[in-house]
This record gives sequence, structure tokens and C-alpha cells, in this order.
Amino acid sequence: MMMLLSSAALLVVNPGETVDSMLNASAEAVELCINLCGIYAVWLGILEILDASGLSEKLAKLLKPIIKRLFKGADEKVHKDIAINMSANMLGLGNAATPYGIKAMKGMDDGSGVATKPMIMLMVLNATSIQLLPTTTIGLRASAGSQSPADIILPTLISTFITCLTGICLVFICNKIFKRKRG
Amino acid sequence: MSAYIVPIFIIFVLLYASYKNLNTYNIFVKGAKGAIELVVSIFPYIVAIMVSVALMRVSGLTDLITKAVSPIFNFLGIPPEVSELVLLRPFTGSGSFALLNDIFTKYGADSYISRCACVIMGSSETVFYVATVYFSQTKVKKLLYAIPCALICSLVAAVLSCLLCRFM
Repeated sequence: MMMLLSSAALLVVNPGETVDSMLNASAEAVELCINLCGIYAVWLGILEILDASGLSEKLAKLLKPIIKRLFKGADEKVHKDIAINMSANMLGLGNAATPYGIKAMKGMDDGSGVATKPMIMLMVLNATSIQLLPTTTIGLRASAGSQSPADIILPTLISTFITCLTGICLVFICNKIFKRKRG
Repeated sequence: MSAYIVPIFIIFVLLYASYKNLNTYNIFVKGAKGAIELVVSIFPYIVAIMVSVALMRVSGLTDLITKAVSPIFNFLGIPPEVSELVLLRPFTGSGSFALLNDIFTKYGADSYISRCACVIMGSSETVFYVATVYFSQTKVKKLLYAIPCALICSLVAAVLSCLLCRFM
């Protein structure tokens, strides 16, 4: 729908550029995917080692109190993937977190075509991801000639933390509202 | 410091695995093989979202929306200079980083605007990208309230960022 709307708008403004920009974006997507393929290969390889050595189970056990509460009704098996996904997110490794997140989502799918509560929670948590170290931003800022590129860490931490809590509360509230509507 | 965390973690994992007498090489290769399949299966979704975003930008729809909501943003304490970033952030990671760089060069890396932009970048995520990619491997068609919740969070993040930067 978004595409239709934008294309329609373009027809009026600048018809020649429609196809150009679409193809450009698509080429960019290919580039991104090739990059992602490399990143995923490394992290999925390490995940396999984590799994085989039993470390991922330990991590899941460590985070179990949190995960159990946030992802009520999720299968025990998915806990591992969620644990790794959350840890990677916290370290600021968004791209490393993705394959584990996808795996967890797959594991939580009940085939009904409607997102389950734990799935929504995982999605919102990933969208608000707590980031302990905003490395990319600091790097960019330093190269732009900032005097103290790291002085955004504290406000970022506070903001990201509050946002994450807001997200969790929102999902819980929505869960309650929807339950009532269905019942 | 952060530069050390990941390598140390990887070394730790490898050491632990050898301590457990596992053939790390074979296991790693087995896992890495899955990457191609994964990327191939999420590829169409990435293309779709990136093409839509590009169209929205070129068509001027983004500018229009920016203009439309900037009074609301102003009311919430978000300066107009960063409202485009707030709007673009949910759609594209690379695009918003490019915009962040623009803001740096335009207003100086140490200005209030730039610091706001940085905190916004750090405390929000590419919501639509995450949604498409994460749900791409499931049969889910109805996301219910997942996206609205995530977007509200992004807005909260933006408001908070601008507020915090005023004091810190």
C-alpha cells in the first residue's frame, strides 16, 4: 500500500525517476543482503558452537527469571534463542541478534496466522532494544570532529532504558485489552 | 573498551568448546551454512521494504509528512531539525545514519541538535525493518498491536532524548 501511494505521488511529481529509484533501492538491498550473509554466517557458526557446548542453555538459565515473566507461554526451547538475541542486542550487535531473533520467532509461531503474545513482546523488545554502548553513533560523532563524542552515553542509556520499560508496559496493557475483547 | 568485549566473548566460547572436547571447526561450518538459506529467505522482504522507503523519499511523501507533523513534534519538545530523523529512523538504518551525518556537518557535532540526534539514534530502532525481517519466517499475517507499540516507544524515545539533552 505504501508503495502504491508513493508511486502515485511520483507520477504527479516526477514520473521519470520512479523506476530509477526502485531499481536503485533494489540493488542496495542486494548489497545489504550479501553483507548480511557474511555477518550471519559468522554468528550462526558461533551459535552452533554455543548450542553444542551447552553454553546457550546456561545463558538461558541465567536470564530465565526475566524471560519467563516477559514471554509467558513461550516454549522452553525458544528461551535459548531469546536469551542470545537479548544479549546481542544489549551489546549493540543488532545484526548479530537478528538470526537468533528470527529463529526464536519461528519457534514461537503457532501457525494460526496471528502474532502470539510472546512474539509481539520479542518484536517490541527488539524495536526498543536496550543498548549499553551506542558504538556506531559515537564513532560517527568522533569522525565529525566532536570534542567529547562519548558524552551522549549517559542520556542514551537513560532514554533507552525508559523506552524499553515503556515498551514492556505497553505490550502488557495491550495484552489485557485484547484479552477482554476476545473473551 | 567495547572493542574488547566481542573478541573476548568469541575466544571464551571457542576455549570452552575445546575444553568440552568438541570439534569446533565442523560445528562452525555447519552453522555458517545456514546463513545463505536465511538470507535468501529474507531477501524478498528486504527488497520490498527498501524499495518502498526509496519511493517514499523520492516522491516527497516523507517531506510532506515531516511538515505535517512538525508542529506536533514541536509541541512535544522535538526540534524541527531532528524531526526528519525521528520519522526516518523506523524505516531505514543506513538512511538514518546518513541523515545523522548530514546533521553533524550542518549544525556541528557538539551542538544540542546533534546530541539530540545521537541519543535518538541510540535509543530507537528500525521498527519496520525489524518487523519485516523477524516475521518473515513465520506464517503470521496479523501483527495486532506490535507495530503501534513499537512506534509509540520510538516517539517516547525521541521526546525523552530531546528532554535529556537539555539537562545533560
